[in-house]
Amino acid sequence: MKRTVTVLAALLFVALMLPVASMAEDAYPAKPITGVVPFGPGGSTDLLARTVEKIWPKYSKQPLVIVNKPGGGGVVGTEGVVRSKPDGYTLYFGYGSGHDIVMPSLQKMPYDPQKDLIAVARLSVHSVAILTGTNSPFNSVKEMVAWAKKENKPITTAVAVKAGAVDLALTALGKKAGIQIVTVPFSGGAEATTALAGGHLMIGGGHPAEILSHIKAGRFKVIGVALPQRDPALPNVPTLREQGIDVATWGSVKGVAAPAGTPKDVVHYLESTLKKVTEDPDFRKAMENMGQPVMFMGSEEYTKFIKQATADYAKIIKDLNIKIN
Amino acid sequence: MEIFSGLINGFSVALTPVNVLFAFLGAILGTAVGVLPGLGPAATIALLLPATYAISSPVTAIILMAGIFYGSQYGGSTTSILLNLPGEASSVVTCIDGYKMAQKGRAGAALGIAAIGSFAAGTVGIVGMTLFAPKIAGFALSFGPPEMFSLALVGLLMAVTLSGASIVKGLIMMAMGLLLASVGLDPISGKTRFSFGVIELQSGFDFVTLAMGVFGLGEIFTGLESAMKSEAVTTKVGQVWPTVKDWVDSRMAILRGTLIGFVVGIIPGGGAVISSLVSYAVEKKVSKRPEEFGQGAIEGVAGPESANNAASSSSFIPLLTLGIPGNASIAMIFAALMIKGVTPGPFLIQEHPEIFWGVIASMYVGNVMLLVLNLPLVGLWVQLVRIPFGILAPVIILFTAIGSYSIQGQVFDIYSLIGFGLFGYLLRKLKFEPGPLVLAFVLEPMIEGAMRRSLLISGGSFSIFVTHPISMALIGMFALLVLGQTVVMFRKKPLINN
Repeated sequence: MKRTVTVLAALLFVALMLPVASMAEDAYPAKPITGVVPFGPGGSTDLLARTVEKIWPKYSKQPLVIVNKPGGGGVVGTEGVVRSKPDGYTLYFGYGSGHDIVMPSLQKMPYDPQKDLIAVARLSVHSVAILTGTNSPFNSVKEMVAWAKKENKPITTAVAVKAGAVDLALTALGKKAGIQIVTVPFSGGAEATTALAGGHLMIGGGHPAEILSHIKAGRFKVIGVALPQRDPALPNVPTLREQGIDVATWGSVKGVAAPAGTPKDVVHYLESTLKKVTEDPDFRKAMENMGQPVMFMGSEEYTKFIKQATADYAKIIKDLNIKIN
Repeated sequence: MEIFSGLINGFSVALTPVNVLFAFLGAILGTAVGVLPGLGPAATIALLLPATYAISSPVTAIILMAGIFYGSQYGGSTTSILLNLPGEASSVVTCIDGYKMAQKGRAGAALGIAAIGSFAAGTVGIVGMTLFAPKIAGFALSFGPPEMFSLALVGLLMAVTLSGASIVKGLIMMAMGLLLASVGLDPISGKTRFSFGVIELQSGFDFVTLAMGVFGLGEIFTGLESAMKSEAVTTKVGQVWPTVKDWVDSRMAILRGTLIGFVVGIIPGGGAVISSLVSYAVEKKVSKRPEEFGQGAIEGVAGPESANNAASSSSFIPLLTLGIPGNASIAMIFAALMIKGVTPGPFLIQEHPEIFWGVIASMYVGNVMLLVLNLPLVGLWVQLVRIPFGILAPVIILFTAIGSYSIQGQVFDIYSLIGFGLFGYLLRKLKFEPGPLVLAFVLEPMIEGAMRRSLLISGGSFSIFVTHPISMALIGMFALLVLGQTVVMFRKKPLINN
């Protein structure tokens, strides 16, 4: 009995861990494609990738298999893709995250996120939403700024991590508005929103995908979005620019990339298949449930977008004089 | 009344043949990964996450995952008692008295009381969850940074007093644990510390790898020294049913363990590991015969094993009522629900009552299955132990290696596992207890992070720790403990004999 269970568990383990067996060369894709998520399971990038994984077989003859390789803030898994064979069978899911567009301005990277990777497609944008408890005296960022100036008090702010997209946007907001924003970094978005829900801080920030359930539950008010335009996931929330504060970032962008050197026709195949996936009604429904707006962009356009977003963050970091190491 | 009709509804979901089958599968898998030191519930659930696509109903998928999660708390004690090798981190403390009992030929009684305690605590935990879920979740939220800091501080001090003979050695181990935990990303500034340019060290050492190395491999390496004789491990199980005296001795321990586990399990980041340690410390304090602890006291098995099961039940409360996962395994279950388009949170009970009550009802069913799997069949699980050590040791090393690799998918973790194993061997040779090291390692990010966050909020003033009432009470407890220990140390009469 015990031994059977052990054997079964071991078999299950081996089956799941086995690398995809290689087959004879055929028209691409001739074997299952591996999609690497460089973050742990359960995060917004993982959920997005797994939704693509589910819809993918409708539009491709080979399945897409998502694996998680977390570590080093995303660098470990991404470097694995950068160093893999550029044959289109190893893809990176999450291209446009903090370690691609923010980190290069802060520290030395083991690879070049732009030169060593080919942008295949953008799938979604996770904007920075600014939140406060429902009992809070502020109903907008404008009111918050006025309050902080009148009381001359710092605004304590829960953020997921130091120098992440949320931290940068809120620090920039404080600087532009001329008020003191004390960002308190937690170990992840869930912990930060919990502390805010407990009333231990005045405001907080997060991506809509992480906070949608709290908003639906009426636990938070959203008082601003730091995007250049309104977020489709939060259509009623005005941007910071609309509220007279000139701060806008792209938050965290979620796309797909392949290692540099991947053949053009392969990139084209992936791009068009991903486009079909993002147009699928089941995919759109799932994304809406998760609070992730579908914002597709093709390879060429997305390459330019990543370049611009990286430059924008570099400017914010320079203006705010943020240093890490 | 609402609760009653909800529960009836839940049972109508949980008792469909498919869901009963999956609860059973979860219970078996959970016991297996609990018994196997290399595999934890988090790793197993992560590996099964892709399989949940094939299961069309979200409630069935969650029943399976929940079964693995709480089932592992049952299995974890088996190897702790028989091999002095904790199957799970939450069964670490069970080794102390459980293994001693096994050496005295009372392995059966230890296993029996662990299974009965687990069942009683698990069931009481679910009843408590059924009744109090919404109210209790509000209490968990009132733990902000200053409260978390004070709680973790008290926890760490308990670890030192728990370490046994020498408080000084305990403090050394604690410092080592704090130091090891500070490798990797600084929780506040995001700077990399002590990584020496090694990319794998940028995210720090993995807890499971550390625990498996220091406890698991360290024990095996020590065992190999004397393993030339074919039977290095206890195989005499004896009578599985505890005696009347055992029952009388441990019933209060089970009750206290259940209460401690239930409360600690609700606190985010608390959970099974801390609750088992707290329970052990409490049992030692209240016992009329504290000198028996460490020598095979049945309360030292009954209390912690009850606590970790109650905690595994109650850790579902923040998930199902607030949508906040309190630990890694629960976070995977959270992810599985999200993939299915179900958002866990306060609306879950209204929008998806079949999930809320179905999962709760399935936990009643699963606990009964686990009692059957673990109590009468414990003899079957024990067959594993009859394998000669020369065969068992490499198998365990292989499984721990697979387990540590599976967490992050990097070979580096296997090297650090072996390194920690050699370190654990050294500690045993020098008569250091690794317990405080491991607890300090777990608590370091919480202590450091919570303290620095508190100071950010207060603008640098330490008064924040005494102006918050919950924090002040905990700090007061801490001061009393330190004072008490100091007085005792100078009297040269240890408060806790070991």
